[in-house]
Amino acid sequence: MDFVDILYEKLSVEDISDMVSSPSCGAVSMFIGTTRDNFDGKQVLKLDYEAYIPMAKRKMLEVCASIRQQWDVHNIAIIHRIGVVPVKEASIVIAISSEHRKESLEAVHFAIDTMKAIVPIWKKEIYADEASAWKHNKECAWAEELPNTQNSENAVIVVDKL
Amino acid sequence: INLLFFAKSKEIVGQKQTQIYLPKKTTGKNILEGILNEFPGLQLIANNVVLSLNEEYIDNNTEVNLRAGDEIAVIPPVSGG
Repeated sequence: MDFVDILYEKLSVEDISDMVSSPSCGAVSMFIGTTRDNFDGKQVLKLDYEAYIPMAKRKMLEVCASIRQQWDVHNIAIIHRIGVVPVKEASIVIAISSEHRKESLEAVHFAIDTMKAIVPIWKKEIYADEASAWKHNKECAWAEELPNTQNSENAVIVVDKL
Repeated sequence: INLLFFAKSKEIVGQKQTQIYLPKKTTGKNILEGILNEFPGLQLIANNVVLSLNEEYIDNNTEVNLRAGDEIAVIPPVSGG
């Protein structure tokens, strides 16, 4: 089964792991993306996520389908949190179960890489000095050649090197 | 046609959603130009956005036949995950 969702609440890693685990599976592999407290020397207070929800869910299901074409896995859960996510809390949890560990480990890696490239979700970093910036993933094909301009008063697009 | 804005594009335009008139038979490139005509502030990010039509990405060359009720979104570089 594929479980995808976009929520405003704090994500429970344990619940999501329970969603995918199964008596027939010897492995549940997970990726948890958490808010980091710094970028480029600036202190990040929190991330504010926005999503084109129906399209994002559609793309998340496509990621699941693509995973199943490449690996024999049992259950897949991709859950993304939106709204404000404070430092250290999870913004995304991906959990995949499989009989043996190789498939789910590889599938999770593929899942997060692909999510970062195609899913219409955006994050804005909110810095300690009250400035903020919309980020973009280097995996995103249409983010190439974005200028690295800096404006401390207004939201700008800052190159995400990481 | 329903037109949605997200992230930086929403901040530039100042609204999340609006209606726009576009020719029925058109291409991704023409749709973007139509949007830029109406919202010239978007020129700032025009080189780095893509469009979606009814929740599927379209590119400059995609030929489309638009219908009432279609939904187009301006998609700045994504940063989910």
